[in-house]
Amino acid sequence: MSDITVKINSQECKAQEGEYILNVARANGIFIPAICYLTRCSPTLACRICLVEADGKQVYACNAKVKNGMNIETVTENILKERRAIMEVYDVNHPLQCGVCDQSGSCELQNYTLELGVDSQTYSIADTVRESKNWSSVLHYDAGLCIVCERCVTVCKDMIGDSAIKTTARGGEALDKSYKDTMPKDAYAMWNKLQKSVIAPSNGTEQTNCSDCGECVAVCPVGALVSRDFVYTTNAWELNRIPATCAHCSSGCHIYYETKPTSISNREEKIYRVTNEWNYMSLCGAGRFGYDFENTNVSKDEKAFALAIEAFKKAQTIRFNATITNEEALMLQTLKEKLGVKLVNDEVRAFQKFLNAYSDASGKSLYGSDFKELMNSDFIISVGSILRKDNPNARYVFNNVQKMNKGAGLYFHPIGDTVIPTFGKSVETFNHKVGLEEAVCYLILDLFAPKDKLSDEVKDYIESFKDGDTNGLVELLGKDSAKFKASFDKMMGKKSSFGLMVGEDFFYHEKSENLAKLIALIEEVTPLNIAFIPPKSNALGVSLICELDDEATGYTIGYNENGDFKLSALGDGNLDIPALNQQEGTLTNMNKKVVPTNSALEYNGYELNDIMKALFDVPRLAIDWTAYLPVDKGFMSHEFDSLPNHYTNAGVELRGYSLVKFTREANEIKVDRFDEKAILEGDIVCRANPQRQFSDFTDKAHQINEAFGLYVSDAKSKSIGTSKAEISFGDERLILDVMVDDRMEGDIVALPDFQSKHNVYGLFGTSRYKIVTIKGV
Amino acid sequence: METVLPEVTAVGVIIKAVIILAVISAIAGFGTYIERKVLAFMQRRLGPMHVGPYGLLQLIADGIKLFTKEDIIPAHANKFIFAIAPAITAATAFIALSAVPVFPDFTIPEFIPLLGGTFVPSIASDVNIGILFVLGMMAAGLYGPLLAGMAQANKWGLLGSARTAVQFLSYEVVTGLSILAPIMIVGSLSFVDFNDYQNEHIWLVVYQPVAFVLFLIAGFAETNRTPFDILEHEAEIVSGYATEYSGMRWGMFFIGEYANMITIGVIASVVFLGGYSDFFFIPAWIMIILKVAFFFFFMLWVRAAWPHIRPDQLMWLCWKVLMPLAVVNIIITAVVMMAMA
Amino acid sequence: MSLEQFKDRNVGVQNYRQLDLPQSPTTAMCKVKQVAKRSLKGELFVGLGVTVREMVSTLFGKGLHTTQYPFEKLPISPRYRAIHEMLRLLESGNYRCIGCGLCEKICISNCISMETRYDENQRKEVSAYTINFGRCIFCGYCAEVCPELAIVHGGRYETASEQRASFSLFEDMLTPIDQLSLQQEYQGFGAVSPNADDNIKKTPLAY
Ligand code: SF4
Ligand code: SF4
Ligand code: SF4
Ligand code: SF4
Ligand code: SF4
Ligand code: FES
Repeated sequence: MSDITVKINSQECKAQEGEYILNVARANGIFIPAICYLTRCSPTLACRICLVEADGKQVYACNAKVKNGMNIETVTENILKERRAIMEVYDVNHPLQCGVCDQSGSCELQNYTLELGVDSQTYSIADTVRESKNWSSVLHYDAGLCIVCERCVTVCKDMIGDSAIKTTARGGEALDKSYKDTMPKDAYAMWNKLQKSVIAPSNGTEQTNCSDCGECVAVCPVGALVSRDFVYTTNAWELNRIPATCAHCSSGCHIYYETKPTSISNREEKIYRVTNEWNYMSLCGAGRFGYDFENTNVSKDEKAFALAIEAFKKAQTIRFNATITNEEALMLQTLKEKLGVKLVNDEVRAFQKFLNAYSDASGKSLYGSDFKELMNSDFIISVGSILRKDNPNARYVFNNVQKMNKGAGLYFHPIGDTVIPTFGKSVETFNHKVGLEEAVCYLILDLFAPKDKLSDEVKDYIESFKDGDTNGLVELLGKDSAKFKASFDKMMGKKSSFGLMVGEDFFYHEKSENLAKLIALIEEVTPLNIAFIPPKSNALGVSLICELDDEATGYTIGYNENGDFKLSALGDGNLDIPALNQQEGTLTNMNKKVVPTNSALEYNGYELNDIMKALFDVPRLAIDWTAYLPVDKGFMSHEFDSLPNHYTNAGVELRGYSLVKFTREANEIKVDRFDEKAILEGDIVCRANPQRQFSDFTDKAHQINEAFGLYVSDAKSKSIGTSKAEISFGDERLILDVMVDDRMEGDIVALPDFQSKHNVYGLFGTSRYKIVTIKGV
Repeated sequence: METVLPEVTAVGVIIKAVIILAVISAIAGFGTYIERKVLAFMQRRLGPMHVGPYGLLQLIADGIKLFTKEDIIPAHANKFIFAIAPAITAATAFIALSAVPVFPDFTIPEFIPLLGGTFVPSIASDVNIGILFVLGMMAAGLYGPLLAGMAQANKWGLLGSARTAVQFLSYEVVTGLSILAPIMIVGSLSFVDFNDYQNEHIWLVVYQPVAFVLFLIAGFAETNRTPFDILEHEAEIVSGYATEYSGMRWGMFFIGEYANMITIGVIASVVFLGGYSDFFFIPAWIMIILKVAFFFFFMLWVRAAWPHIRPDQLMWLCWKVLMPLAVVNIIITAVVMMAMA
Repeated sequence: MSLEQFKDRNVGVQNYRQLDLPQSPTTAMCKVKQVAKRSLKGELFVGLGVTVREMVSTLFGKGLHTTQYPFEKLPISPRYRAIHEMLRLLESGNYRCIGCGLCEKICISNCISMETRYDENQRKEVSAYTINFGRCIFCGYCAEVCPELAIVHGGRYETASEQRASFSLFEDMLTPIDQLSLQQEYQGFGAVSPNADDNIKKTPLAY
């Protein structure tokens, strides 16, 4: 890729070889109408309105790449004629219901109709009955409004990976032949296609049965796809947009909370929906629909506050979790330094240890890459993560690499998944035995490390698995090595950038230290770019800011966790604290960025900083702590109010700042061999949440209804045979509903941890898998 | 016809006085209703409509209002005089009526028990200098506004009373001179004689048109009616002598004013328009009611039609026009009488 | 510009006419003549004549100018902007408001609030609607912007009440269903212009 210059409307523009004309124009502030194109997805050429003239030839701006010295005209007489005809066609039989439509005011059909001055209609065709339907618990599709731009289809395929919807036959009348000769060419072609299609779930039923991420809703340019909860509740222009950061998982996505007073009689603000910059980042269902987790009806309870101060004075341990801002984490760390309390955090501790071990081995304070970079690679490997459940954005990256970069992917995980293989033709999945994570690392070393870079010891160890043409490691991980070799060679063709994402299995592992070293070694000797998937919301921030302890002792304060004295944003504790949509602060996301979030809703109670103020001489506001985040850990001393939180028109992410990465000289990395006997056999349970559930906060949101239960594959549910199962961890027993996740495969079952009251971390300890006995009851 | 002196008994006089008092004050009150209605119709309005049918009971509402209103006496007022001034106006007005024959004499019909057959003279007391008495009484009435205006420690009131003095004194002259000529003709000061004279001859207005007109004009001034209501001219001096009055005291001024209007009406009818004599087939008592009613109406009519005049115009009119005219009239009458005799 | 012109610069067309007032009398004789003339001319009787004429005609019910206000009301101009009304569709009796929210948006006093929802018939239902008449300045923008002619200004100008809220709910403003036949089409601010048809281009229909 190299810098080139092109001329758009005689304006000189810098561009990169291979960029689309449309994106170059947008980055340079030149307007080209476009409906069907989504920035990070493949062009569909459904709308044809982005027509421009490049070097005298008509091309589609969203699909044509720039060439050095190209001359581009965005408006010519013919193009205007085409565009106007296209908009007229879109308006044919479009219901005149802007008055009630949810998209009115931000509707691209409205906008372009106006922009192109469509004030009369030349075309007509008999209308077809198109009914509105509910596709899932969140999706509402009004086919009458749909302009079949296919953005929803595209985003679901290219970003989300579910491919849950597709175009299907509308069954309308065919176009009158005479139009073909009389109409502008592109408009006719567009209409011809439009008239034949509507959108429907791709599984042939009435239900999408998808991830319910709502991204299709976000991208829909008209009011055709709307979330069921939002339909007809308000107009877009009545809503306040508050830029914030989603607090549910470590992606830390940029979101807007859109608020308006609850009702005529209740003037308190309420969040009506969450929107995002869908051209530049995609949300998951938790982020989009799990927004109403605020702590309501809180006032300053002085009695409880006095008790809280007492509790803090005598506390020996503070137990908290990863759903916390950097500032709060810093306050807790301050408490540790001043009062000598222990800090216990089950969600972060293992990750912190892993990160430290990695740093010790590699000499780098942070993993080298991030997910933005991984998205540009053309070969992506995922280890230790249930991509579909652990982190939606990691999964979008994995999928997008397949779709957009003609990429290839390797997916290593003990739990089989039916969705991952559909991401692309060049995806190989290894459903290996639990306990062979180190073997995965050795295989990666074998596949990607130049032999001269490996120490003799490691080289010999890897060689020891090979026997002629069979690679014992591949066989050990459950694949036929000859077949794999053939397909792997194909996958490697024309690949230039490689990425590896490391997930939660590696952190919660008996051998996590050795795994960390192996990862460090892989990073050092292979071309793979490496990024970790921090387990929960602000796990990275907490692990950098807090010195965590392993064991809780004595009088314990629970901060959104169980304890002798409980501070809770869920409204169930001894003292109320604000939820993350009610407070300002920063979060550290998995892209190693410190991003700000804002309060969308009012909160009138006490917060942690009030307790800090009562105990010590500390800043007045929680956000005053932002500038004091530890610089030696990579934070910068920026004031909260100076942190930007938006995307530019060119798609540049201006959010907070990136952590500074420190490097020091490292010793040669010594890795241990693995023990094949560590493989777990029997009934195995894995700690994993259903999609869209991450914590008590997502659980509280009314549109997130995935229940707490035992998630099993279809086959496993048949073998259990009942709708409830008893699962015993030695002495501890749980009786849970059996929930079938039809996209899971294999015998391993998943036990969620999103409800802290079940103390699931306690059951699992430092590992993510346990051998248990499961029986139907 | 010889005048039959009625049996004057104390009881009869008192009864008659009470009846006159009651009836005239009722009529005076009702007069306000009539005035509003007439003015309203002349101005294409409806007037009072809401209390009672066609607003007939408005009078009662007003009465209740006046009686129950707070009686305010200003701090610096001369309280005693302030208090009695309205009474002077009302009292003189009614006293004047005592010598005015309102009806022809009549006999109470036989079928009425107790009183049946009693002969009732129409007049409370037929003083033989009736006209002088009435004029004198009405002139005394000027003390009402005069004292009221001076007692109330208010400059509008003071202006009002000054105007009272000037206006009443001046027009007293015209009244007296204008009525002198008819007196010369009839040769008596008794109203009854006037009535009888006209019964025998012809209405005096025929002989004395000028005196009639002068008397009427002066009557407007005496009763303080538009266009000569400069005593309390709202547009100039707030409410003149009545500025500080409220409630029933204020009401008394008005009863006095309306009683005076009736008095003037009766005098004009008796002196100039034939009084209470039968008119062809119309019985005497109806005639007198019609005549008085006409004068009453005429005063309202004038109020609706004509503007106020300025005090200087008032004086100019009195001394330069009306008074000379009256004197000339007397002289001419005298000359003619001498010639006839 | 002369001073006179300067002073009159904002005055419209100047077609004032000077009255020919007669000279005031100078000599005593002239004055006497004037008095005599005026007194005898009978102008006073003209005044009396006028008033009595009016009285008679009023008595016979013509030319009466009184409106007995609380019982009788004069028709008010359709352009008068009083308390709002919510109209119904004449055919179905449904309320016309579609819940588009334009009135809420345009209201310069920010005094309209509404709640809408997705109803059982898959339509947008206005579940609550209110105007804060303590803030409304009766500018008429809401009536003008309403695409359905649903919210209009009515003729209810007697707006004294014990509570500002007395007029302000949807039900208060909505034409009572039993008075649907009496509902007047709005002529005022924002109504369809008489030549609206001329300004509309026809859309071709394929059936
Ligand atoms: S989709 Fe757009 S054009 Fe269509 S009704 Fe809705 S707002 Fe109007
Ligand atoms: S909700 Fe998400 S997964 Fe489901 S159809 Fe829409 S984009 Fe696809
Ligand atoms: S539903 Fe929306 S995004 Fe999907 S094709 Fe229709 S208009 Fe486009
Ligand atoms: S009249 Fe004006 S101020 Fe009143 S509600 Fe309508 S738009 Fe708002
Ligand atoms: S503008 Fe009219 S149709 Fe729209 S919400 Fe207001 S009243 Fe209803
Ligand atoms: S945006 Fe290029 S074809 Fe639709």
